[in-house]
Amino acid sequence: MTSRRILATASLVAVLGMIAAACGGNSNTANPTDSGSGAVATGGTYRTATQEFGYTDAFDPTGEYLGSAWGLYSQLLLRGLMTYNHKNADLGGNDPIPDLATDPPEISADGLTYTFKLHDNAMFGPPVSRVITSHDVEYAFERINLASLAAQYGNYYCGVIKGMTCSEKKLAPVSGIATPDDSTITFTLEQPTGDFLYRLAMPATAAIPQEVAKCFLKAGDYGRFVIASGPYMIMGSDQLDISQSCSQIAKNPISGYNPDKGVTFVRNTDFDPASANPDSGGNYVDGVQITINSNVDDIFQQIQQGTLDGSYGDTPPSTVEQQFATNPDLKSGLHADQGDRTWYFTMNLLAPPFDDVHVRKAVNYVIDKAALAKAYGGSLHAEPATTIEPPAVNPATATYDPYPSTNSAGDVAAAMDEMKQSKYDTNQDGKCDAPQCKGFIFLGRSSSPWPNLNTVAMQDFAKIGLQPKLSEVDTTTGYTTLQSVKKLIPVSLVPGWGKDFASPFGFDYFLFDSRAGLTCDTAVDYSLVGITADKAKECGVTDQFNAVTSEFGPIGSVDSKMDECVAKSAEEINQCFADMDKTLMEDIVPWAPWGWGKNLVITGTSTTHYEYDAFGDVISLGWVSVNNGLAPVNVA
Amino acid sequence: MTRYIIRRLLWVVLVLLVVVFVTFVIFFLMPSGDPALRFAGKGAQPQVLETVRHQLGLDRPWYSQYFSFTRNIFLGDQNGWPGLGFSFATRVPLKDILFERMFVTIQLAVGAAVIWLLVGIPIGILSALRPRSLMDRGAMTFALIGISAPVFFLGPLALYIFWYKLGWLPGTGYKPLSSGFGPWLSHFILPWCVLAVLYAAFYARMTRANLMETMGEDYIRTARAKGLSERRVVLKHGLRAGLTPIVTIFGLDLAGLLGGAIITETIFNIPGIGQYTILAVRRLDLYAIMDITLVAAFFVTFANLVVDIVYAFLDPRVRYD
Amino acid sequence: MAEPLLELKDLRVSFPTEDGLVQAVNVVSLSIMPGETLGVVGESGSGKSVTFLTVMGLINRKSAIVEGEVIFQGEDLLKLPVDELKKIRGSKIGMVFQDPMTSLHPFYKVGYQLAETILAHEDVSKKEANERAVEMLRTVGIPRPDQRAKQYPHEFSGGMRQRAMIAMGLSLNPDLLIADEPTTALDVTVQAQILALIDRLKEEFNAAVVMITHDLGVVAEHADDIQVMYAGRVVEFGDVDDIYYEPMHPYTWGLLGSIPRLTDSLKERLRPITGLPPSMINVPKGCSFNPRCPYQFDRCLTEEPELIPLDGHHAAACHLSLADRRKVLSEGVAIQR
Repeated sequence: MTSRRILATASLVAVLGMIAAACGGNSNTANPTDSGSGAVATGGTYRTATQEFGYTDAFDPTGEYLGSAWGLYSQLLLRGLMTYNHKNADLGGNDPIPDLATDPPEISADGLTYTFKLHDNAMFGPPVSRVITSHDVEYAFERINLASLAAQYGNYYCGVIKGMTCSEKKLAPVSGIATPDDSTITFTLEQPTGDFLYRLAMPATAAIPQEVAKCFLKAGDYGRFVIASGPYMIMGSDQLDISQSCSQIAKNPISGYNPDKGVTFVRNTDFDPASANPDSGGNYVDGVQITINSNVDDIFQQIQQGTLDGSYGDTPPSTVEQQFATNPDLKSGLHADQGDRTWYFTMNLLAPPFDDVHVRKAVNYVIDKAALAKAYGGSLHAEPATTIEPPAVNPATATYDPYPSTNSAGDVAAAMDEMKQSKYDTNQDGKCDAPQCKGFIFLGRSSSPWPNLNTVAMQDFAKIGLQPKLSEVDTTTGYTTLQSVKKLIPVSLVPGWGKDFASPFGFDYFLFDSRAGLTCDTAVDYSLVGITADKAKECGVTDQFNAVTSEFGPIGSVDSKMDECVAKSAEEINQCFADMDKTLMEDIVPWAPWGWGKNLVITGTSTTHYEYDAFGDVISLGWVSVNNGLAPVNVA
Repeated sequence: MTRYIIRRLLWVVLVLLVVVFVTFVIFFLMPSGDPALRFAGKGAQPQVLETVRHQLGLDRPWYSQYFSFTRNIFLGDQNGWPGLGFSFATRVPLKDILFERMFVTIQLAVGAAVIWLLVGIPIGILSALRPRSLMDRGAMTFALIGISAPVFFLGPLALYIFWYKLGWLPGTGYKPLSSGFGPWLSHFILPWCVLAVLYAAFYARMTRANLMETMGEDYIRTARAKGLSERRVVLKHGLRAGLTPIVTIFGLDLAGLLGGAIITETIFNIPGIGQYTILAVRRLDLYAIMDITLVAAFFVTFANLVVDIVYAFLDPRVRYD
Repeated sequence: MAEPLLELKDLRVSFPTEDGLVQAVNVVSLSIMPGETLGVVGESGSGKSVTFLTVMGLINRKSAIVEGEVIFQGEDLLKLPVDELKKIRGSKIGMVFQDPMTSLHPFYKVGYQLAETILAHEDVSKKEANERAVEMLRTVGIPRPDQRAKQYPHEFSGGMRQRAMIAMGLSLNPDLLIADEPTTALDVTVQAQILALIDRLKEEFNAAVVMITHDLGVVAEHADDIQVMYAGRVVEFGDVDDIYYEPMHPYTWGLLGSIPRLTDSLKERLRPITGLPPSMINVPKGCSFNPRCPYQFDRCLTEEPELIPLDGHHAAACHLSLADRRKVLSEGVAIQR
């Protein structure tokens, strides 16, 4: 009797499933193109490929610092208190919204206490399959706090939340985080932090199930065991046997993810849409396959062939870009979105002739940003930048342009006026003529298309009498050279910088806060903004430091401004940082920003709906829709 | 013979140790950057960097790392024997990855080898028997093109024609034999052929030259004077002597490929050792680089040994004592 | 008179090359009777080897121009298709080459190489072929032939190797054995043994033998007739006595002068022929020997001498008058045997 009923139920389910599948199929064909809201087709699998994942911490959310990984966590796999709508910046993609939290937090009047209520029916996916509680969120912070997990952006929490140091030897509760009950969590901060909600949207803070994660206490080891809390899980997660000992568990990672071959995401069977923020994603597709393909040309050929639905992070070959840009049938598959990334010249405050602010300003005037952007690949890849912070990161700087020029082609007259005021222009003809103006190192990239940009830069330099010696190196060498303070590279076109999160603090912190960005061997503050006598001594550049400070006075610093701004409320924070931006651009002048980078994504005709995720700077897989009707298969 | 083999095997081990040593020194002395920096994120704080360095074992002096690396090879590590370490980039034990990829590369290399032998040697023979004939000139033109055409040119071209334009083949990637003979073959046939072209051309030329030289030998004249059929003179007396040197070259060529056919695997997206080499070098993945070097060096030194032994069987004049 | 076993009629062989036509054999006629031994003497490059390689069809037919006739047992071998020729090679005409080290295949056992010859011509089992091969090795005087058959050529001494070659040449009881410088690569003592062996086997197998050599001394005791070749031509022909006691060509005189003799007084040095053999592309006009001939006169430079019979059997190609030649002979060349 019982078995018969089960059979009947099973067959009913099967029939319903077939109907659903059929309907799905119908709606796919009925809506081959995006028709706006509500009518987006569901089902199918988004198939894509990339040359390499390139993860910095083997996909362990606590430490992983790669934008595309953040995209996967935030769009598909993980849920924290806050998330994004995973759309473009102008559609609100850079604004944190509640996720595990039911609503925006209660913030105390002094701005030091944040209290969140959690959805009480949010679940971890298989094999954990239980309700997510406030303790699971707290546990994520314990892990950030644990030194051995090497949380790569722990600075956003340690020294910010009370009791967090990022150097604990053991997992232990964080004093600044209280979990009075399963659905309430309270953070107590050291000082007001206006962009704290952005930091709670970072993947490292997403809920993490102790029963699995406790087995992985070394950086990167959890990466192949990531348990889903979001709408999708890694295929094969349900096969994980977590009743075994840690050493046994560690031997059998989730089958749907192989770091060198690919990953397949399927729907998380325990995900309850009622517990989630509907704005965070449509979750149209049944699965996502990302295959590793060492041949980048082949990836784009496959998109055109229809065996892939779109690209994922790789830059298309120029022939493919041309084809998509010119062919009206393909044009809808070409997506160029703001990457929230600034390309710039870095100028060393301790290296002549750039120790003179007039020279640095003259460079800002003279560079032909339009020519550089063109050399970089044109308007699909970059547009001329006017300041340090991209507009999407800080709307308050959107119209700020301290070194304007017609068509962004550079203002040679203004540059020469500026140069005249420099001690390196001894005859004040607007051209640098001191011995220091020649033969200094200009570090550039050697990979295509960068040599073209270097040529443009050399021509621009010459207009104001600067005659550097160009040294072209591969990108990695370029960065490691710049990171060494001792090397005092005078000027370089190597660097670019993308946001961590869309608060200006998240953009500027490592770049200009000398306490974060100025380490002797791993500096990101290549220009040495805020370098002190002590730091100079530590890094072995005391002589240069003394020479420059005795000639030009103390080196400019924004450390205190940074502290002041970050403590501002969410409403005031942007203007404060815009002021800091102004100080940097006009007084300290460490950079000559030339371009705001864009991300180019190509989708094939099978992709019927596309959104860009401003947070991860990747295609938004939570909103993508395809009409291939395929079930996901394991590509790992 | 047994003593000779044992002595040579010890020699193989010694060569491998030296190769590993040199690779280690190169890795640490060349300014390729600190791998820890890559895996500590941008703007890494010193303490994070230190943790990563420690966990990757990079905080110890390079000779200490060299010592434990070699020790693990002989004694095994927590992942069993031989101890091949783990990948910095993925924190995955390298042993399984490398064996799995080696198996893929073996299929690629052996398949290509079969093709180039089947194509190159007959062409070489026919050319040698009819020098300066139309057939010979055609074959040698093919050989010249084959030797000059690089895989990175032929590969994409072949893909474009046979997959993209004609749709005869399913494109790039690897399908194991367990997924069916058809898919397996259709994914391998193009890389096999592309990889084989260069070698086939080379072997055709080599066979032709060797065989032509052999056919001028006195003992071939003797064979003819004995009244043997021309077929027997060529296939038995000529090839036996003419092809023996090719065995040596073949052993080394195959061994070289078993260490990874980098360009072919990259173009055809075949997850073998060659593809992994690119990944490993790009990621500054020390142990992976070491292991691949070791594997490649092993194949080459071991193939040398095998070739020498086989030679003793092929050429009765060669004896090792 | 019996039918000759092998008869060459006006054989010419030339090889077109990039530098010009190489006249390797420039009109050679001869005949060998069954059971006879013919010595063919000349310097290297005189065309003696090419002549008999042509007989065997072992020169590349495509790269050579061959004219004339090679009549063997009534058949013109030059007109015979390769398949038919193959049947004659090895079985009716055996050949022994100069350097037994390079003429035996280094990768195959000696017994196998012998048996292979037998198997190529006779429908016998491998076992029988092997047994016959061993028997042949025994016949040519190789000790422990059953073991030796299983060895490779490099395990044989030079003399043993040449014995094996001879065994191979005679293994099918041929009517003609062509021995191309069979002793050149061997020690003097071994040379004598090999020559004696050939002599003995010739009787045993009742075969005609062509002994090609550059050393008149070698053929002196073993040949019936001797043919002296120079620059692709026969310059003198006769029986052994003719050639040794009454040589009628300055070249033959030269050859005889370069034979070391045990009776030579120490003062009497060898008298080698001066100069080098001519290039086969630019053969001198007139008598091709004229540049090296101490007796040359005007006629030698313009007119090619014909092989003129001196008496029934003896013939020479020289413009010198018979009287002059006899005079030179009586004064100059000491003949001692």
